[in-house]
Amino acid sequence: MEIFDSLMHGFAVALQPEHLLLALIGCTVGTLVGALPGLGPVNGVALMIPLAFNFGLAPTAALILLVSVYYGCMYGGRISSIVLNIPGDEPAMMTTLDGYPMARAGRGGEALGLSAVASFVGATIATIGLTLFAPLLVTVAIRFGPAEYFALFMLAFATIGGVTSGSFTKSFIAACLGLLLGTVGIDPVSSVARYTFGWYELYDGIDYLVALIGLFAISECLLFLERDQHQRVAPMQLGSAVPGMRQSLSCASTIGRGSVIGFIAGVLPGAGASLGSFLSYVLEKRWWGSKGRFGSGDPRGVAAPESGNNAAAGGALIPMLSLGIPGSGTTAILLALLLSMNITPGPLLFEQQPEMVWGLVAALFIGNVMLLVLNIPLVGLFAKVLQAPSWFLMPMVVLVAFVGVYSLNNSPFDLYMMLAFGVLGYVLRKLEIPTVPVVLGLLLGGQMEFNLRRAMAITGGDWSILWSSGISIGIYLFAITLLVAGLIYAWLVKQRLE
Amino acid sequence: MSDDASVSHAALGDRIAGAVLALLALGAWWHSHTFVTGFMQPVGPGVFPRLVSVPLGVLALYLIARPGINQRWPGQAALVRQLGMLLLLGCYGAVLEPLGFVPATLLATVLLMRLFGARWRQALPYGVLLGLALFVLFEFALGIPLPDMPGWSV
Amino acid sequence: MPINTTKIIPRLGISALLGVGLAVSLPSQALPIDECIAPADPGGGWDFTCRSVGKLLHDLDLVEGNVQVTNMPGGVGAVAFSNVAGKRADDSNLMVATSTVGMTQIAQGRYPGDADTMRWLGMLGTDVGVILVDADSPYQTLDQLLQAIVEDPTSVVMAGSSGAGGWDHIRALMLAKAAGLPGDRIGALRWVQFDGGGPAVTQMMGGHVDAVSTDLGEIAGFIESGDVRALAVLSEEPLPEPFDELPTAVSQGYDVTGYNWRGFYTGGEVSDDDYAAMVDTLHTLYQSDEWKEVAAQNGLVPLWRGGDEFSDFVRESIDSVEAISREIGVIQ
Repeated sequence: MEIFDSLMHGFAVALQPEHLLLALIGCTVGTLVGALPGLGPVNGVALMIPLAFNFGLAPTAALILLVSVYYGCMYGGRISSIVLNIPGDEPAMMTTLDGYPMARAGRGGEALGLSAVASFVGATIATIGLTLFAPLLVTVAIRFGPAEYFALFMLAFATIGGVTSGSFTKSFIAACLGLLLGTVGIDPVSSVARYTFGWYELYDGIDYLVALIGLFAISECLLFLERDQHQRVAPMQLGSAVPGMRQSLSCASTIGRGSVIGFIAGVLPGAGASLGSFLSYVLEKRWWGSKGRFGSGDPRGVAAPESGNNAAAGGALIPMLSLGIPGSGTTAILLALLLSMNITPGPLLFEQQPEMVWGLVAALFIGNVMLLVLNIPLVGLFAKVLQAPSWFLMPMVVLVAFVGVYSLNNSPFDLYMMLAFGVLGYVLRKLEIPTVPVVLGLLLGGQMEFNLRRAMAITGGDWSILWSSGISIGIYLFAITLLVAGLIYAWLVKQRLE
Repeated sequence: MSDDASVSHAALGDRIAGAVLALLALGAWWHSHTFVTGFMQPVGPGVFPRLVSVPLGVLALYLIARPGINQRWPGQAALVRQLGMLLLLGCYGAVLEPLGFVPATLLATVLLMRLFGARWRQALPYGVLLGLALFVLFEFALGIPLPDMPGWSV
Repeated sequence: MPINTTKIIPRLGISALLGVGLAVSLPSQALPIDECIAPADPGGGWDFTCRSVGKLLHDLDLVEGNVQVTNMPGGVGAVAFSNVAGKRADDSNLMVATSTVGMTQIAQGRYPGDADTMRWLGMLGTDVGVILVDADSPYQTLDQLLQAIVEDPTSVVMAGSSGAGGWDHIRALMLAKAAGLPGDRIGALRWVQFDGGGPAVTQMMGGHVDAVSTDLGEIAGFIESGDVRALAVLSEEPLPEPFDELPTAVSQGYDVTGYNWRGFYTGGEVSDDDYAAMVDTLHTLYQSDEWKEVAAQNGLVPLWRGGDEFSDFVRESIDSVEAISREIGVIQ
């Protein structure tokens, strides 16, 4: 088998001691950077580039280092989701929903262990999918045109009512608010400034990272300040990661489903890891119905989005490598990385530079295993960090986030914006309006709108294109089924309560 | 967040939020008509905001009519602390560029730690430590250029 | 999905200064270029311009340390333009990638400013427009495609990386006009904008649009792999290898050419000395064999205009694009 030989060759390269050491450095640094809210793969990669370029690393070695950082960051994002209720990056947002309640119940270590295994399995399944089916999946992915993408986003928003245990109305309100906020800025199609009110800083739209940090981190601090001095809780106990790893066996089916859903979302350029983790979570919640305790510390609520998120990150490599299209923000960083190393992804990459592709795939496998192993000592480290008194921990988190956000554009405006989102997040949480749909609307709204407008441009304004293909009809039927099931379920719960 | 026992059924919060959001939806709808549809665009820049503001408005009205549960709002002392944090971080943003990163951050870390309940003898040393650590992390390790102090450069 | 300010190549610490500073004598310049703004997401033409030129500047030791590439997408370059005009007008260490696409935006009044807002450094090469259909498309020649458009403009859906009225679209409309599509029917032609040439081509391969008008460089791989068929390149003469087989529109009887040059601008308040030094640096880069190689690999034809000559050229380009836009009806 040709693929197998190439991959073995890739492994032979990646397993050299020097490369293993680089992978270890990359994974450790990536995890730490990814865990800090406001800092993500961009910063992690930036941190490593001097090392890669100035110490004369060979291209393969540099690639292994940078890919490890990238994967490490994807792993690290969940850590602060679980222990602080503040996602390290946007795909890790869903992990706060059950991960933090688990940590509050003293099962933080378990959640970290479980999520590490789920991430590992998700990423491994995606990497295997990448190895075996990349060409085939590309032919499927290009069947998705503007109308099909629009249907996919409609599916996401139709299921949004199931995100939290709160009211349907409030979830949809939050989603609409996010979608509306997403339209702020210069419209790329017509160059018209929308809702900017003459503020040049708003031209580029509202940065989802600014919104995410504000809604989660700042509002978390505001909630914290509500408590009186003497009420301060004792530091949280994390516990060991090992039981969580064992527990992953009982969540095996959840992890499997999450991985497949995430992988599919990842392969579609424009959907990305956030949609992957979101759909994995929501569909898993529906799957278990009243048998699950999603939202109040159900381990499956950690396993599903984490496997989905990492599978999507792996799946997103397929359109990036074989079509040169970055499916999401983080893949775009990896694409920029490859370009700066004179590797041009595209239809000929697999033929022209096979050793590079399979070296990359081998690096992904190795990075994955390394992250899983690293996780056990790192949980200990984070447990130590959590022992720090809250008067040190909270200011540290706030200021790291603050400087991270400032460094996006070197603009104090982003800081004020973040504070505004902090207040918004606080008020929404007091009103029991979930904040996750706001970020999701902000993240996906742009693509949703442009695919709608593209579909309209194809037909010259005939809306029937939206439901004219088998794929879109299938997606809509699925969305309606889920929506109706959700409404009936909510009604039944209400009946029982009354 | 709903694990707090302090859930009240006073629906006033939801009603106010519903009213604000309904106004927002109305404003967004109205303002979207000023967006000029460009050359050869069957769907202009105003359509999507309108498509979103309709369900937002309807749901907001529904929220006014059938409000749900809210959590209890904080007391006065807590409110002062929260405003203090927002004010402190706002000022930090404002002085970051004129004062330079290091002095502004040292001030912010020390004061923020005080706000989160540290004593002065805790806040001063640890605040300085955290501030300097942040500087080293961002300026040198992450290679992000931070605003210099006037007259100094790194 | 928005991707904001991806800062990939950071300013380096001391190591780079030591490493490079000792090894070479730098050309006369006050401040070295250390940042290049690509007003788009990674992967497109502007991003490529910044990354390849930034890397070469470093490799050829024309600058100290690395050149940081900042992606600042939004408004087809309008966000970067207004950012530089407003905050960084006198930064002599900064250059911004632009091209004919940017000129089109200025010509149609879509940037907050005109050509005088910035100082134009130079262009290093040109990309060339190309009209593509899927390998399985019924259209075998440019004639067949254009005749179908003239008979029924609504029957063909075209796509590209620019918005309606942008440079990719204008080039397609110029062809349709040359084929005899009456002015009042131009509005009936369908045009779909994607995030770049690559996405447009893959959507065409998926059967969602019928033809693509974009630049050759970004999608050259799809022609080489045989996934798509190039009906015409919009150059005056046939291209050098490996694209020498592709027919020009001119050779098929349609007198339409459409290049997309790649160049840089800097802030309008950069001093004359710094400006001259920056132009000088870019010219040195242009003359290197390495640039010729990188350009050829990416479907660009090396071509230099710098300093005042380039500034005049920019103004002429803007005027001519404005005239075309008016003729077609993009602007009134």
